[in-house]
Parts: sequence; C-alpha cells; structure tokens
Amino acid sequence: METERYIQQEADEKPETKTEQAAEAIQQLGQTNIPQMTPDTNIHCLTIVGQIEGHIQLPPQNKATKYEHVIPQIVAIEQNQNIEGLLVILNTVGGDVEAGLAIAEMLASLSKPTVSIVLGGGHSIGVPIAVSCDYSFITETATMTIHPVRLTGLVIGVPQTFEYLDKMQERVVRFVTKHSNISEEKFKELMFSKGNLTRDIGTNVVGPDAVKYGLIDEVGGVSQAMNKLRELIEMKKSGERKMIQ
Amino acid sequence: MILYTIMPEHLIFPTDTAAYEKQKMVYYDGIPFLVQKTDTDEYEIVQNLSTNPFHFLDPKYAPGSRFPMSAATS
Repeated sequence: METERYIQQEADEKPETKTEQAAEAIQQLGQTNIPQMTPDTNIHCLTIVGQIEGHIQLPPQNKATKYEHVIPQIVAIEQNQNIEGLLVILNTVGGDVEAGLAIAEMLASLSKPTVSIVLGGGHSIGVPIAVSCDYSFITETATMTIHPVRLTGLVIGVPQTFEYLDKMQERVVRFVTKHSNISEEKFKELMFSKGNLTRDIGTNVVGPDAVKYGLIDEVGGVSQAMNKLRELIEMKKSGERKMIQ
Repeated sequence: MILYTIMPEHLIFPTDTAAYEKQKMVYYDGIPFLVQKTDTDEYEIVQNLSTNPFHFLDPKYAPGSRFPMSAATS
C-alpha cells in the first residue's frame, strides 16, 4: 500500500516541484528520503552477537542474544513461505551451553537452506551454532576458541556436578563432530591442548586453521556466503521440481 | 578493590531490578524491537530484532530513533 501510494505521488508530481521539495527537506531536516526497498526478501539474516544468554537474565548493559527472541524467529522463518534461505552471522563470545545448543539444534533441523558466517569471533558455544548450518564460512581474521565447558559460582555436590558437566561437554563434542568434518579425536585434542592459551586449556583457532581442521567448510566473506546460499536454494528448488516430475 | 573469588560478578554486585524494567521488547509496524522508555514518554529503539535485512535500511527503524508509545503493539 505505502509503496504504491509513493509511486503514484511521484508520477503525479512535476519534476520542478520534486526538486523544490527535496531542497526543502535538505534545508529543514538536513536529510533526504531514500527510496524504499521492497520489504519482501527471500533471504533472511539472523545475527548471534555478544553473549548467548541462558536462564539468568543478563544486565541491560550487556550485548546479548536471547533465546526467547531467536527461537520464535527461527520458527517464523520455517513457517513463512516467502523465505527461502537463512544467513546466520556470528560474532559471539559464547555463553550458556543449553541456550546455545537449543539455537544450534533449531538451525540444524530447519528445512530451508542455511549458511553461517563467523566474523570476528565465534567462541565456545558459538562453535556448535556455526557448524549447525548446511554450509559454514569464516573470515580470514575471525577466530574460534575451543575449550572445555566451565562453571562459575557455588558448587554443591562436587562429584555429581563434575559428572553433569562432563556429560554436557560430551553433548557439545557430539554435536560438533556430527555437523562438521572434524573428528572427535581432533576436536578433543584442540579442546584439551595446553600451551596455546596462556595458562589455560584449549585452542584459539584462526580462520584458515578452522577450515584445515574440518571444523568450518570455507574461508570467505559475505559475498561468498550469499552466493553459496543462493546456490543451495537453487539446488533445493530443482530437487523439488524433480520430485514432482 | 581486588576480588579473588570464583563467584561471578553479577552475583556479587546484583544489578538494580529497575535497570531490567527499562528495556523491553515491543512490535512496531510488525517488526520486533528492543526499546527503552524516554523522558518524553516515547520508545527509543535500542536494537532492531528483525531477521529481514531490509528492515535495517530504513532510518526510522535504526537504533536511537523514537516512536510514540501508542504505536507499539506487543
């Protein structure tokens, strides 16, 4: 409706009045209106930024990805027929294991083609989210820190908690090895290696290394990711056409 | 002051509950936004939560823009 009216108005106006109006807009507001883009797009983009918030709400000064925002969005993307593909952009420091795995499982079970791209950092629980997509990219400068699952705070019942944490870590390892080309052996080696992070256990994997280990599919930026996504959409469409025939 | 503890910072210094109430998620023109109330009883956009990349091109939906509270739907 809006755009239709806009086009109609524009057609009715004489060229002089249009330039006059534009000049007025610049004088009064210091800005001009940019032409509206079409609101329909077949590719949607989900950004996973800051910390991945778990069951405890983080104070508002934190940049956080909240699962109560992300999960309904993924459901909406699955349901909307106009959306054909999803680009997942990651720049996260990690966060809650269960919330991260929930997002990763949602993305992995999405019926539409998905491509992820790691920019800056995709650390800790960002790793399963990055590998959950059909195809994954990492920029040359981006890094991913792989380290054991940790807990801060008071612990009551140490042996039980240890076992629980061990199982939680096993879930992460299993998910990553299932959805990427890295072997369990290699992933655990990176996770428990010493000397890479000063006085800490784990490895900071930089872009090309992540590809070398088979964790991520390819080094690339936004154009490569979009091209891959379009290719996957085309592949899915032609596959569907064949099914009908 | 130097703290030597395994307790996370948010447990030692809990945030004032009023800080949480300042921000909320509302829908405006059908697009989800994280907003905070201004002194003029308007909503100021903190974060655009849409997955549609075209919603980020309109300056009206950019962080810092304001819209009347009556325009928000939840």
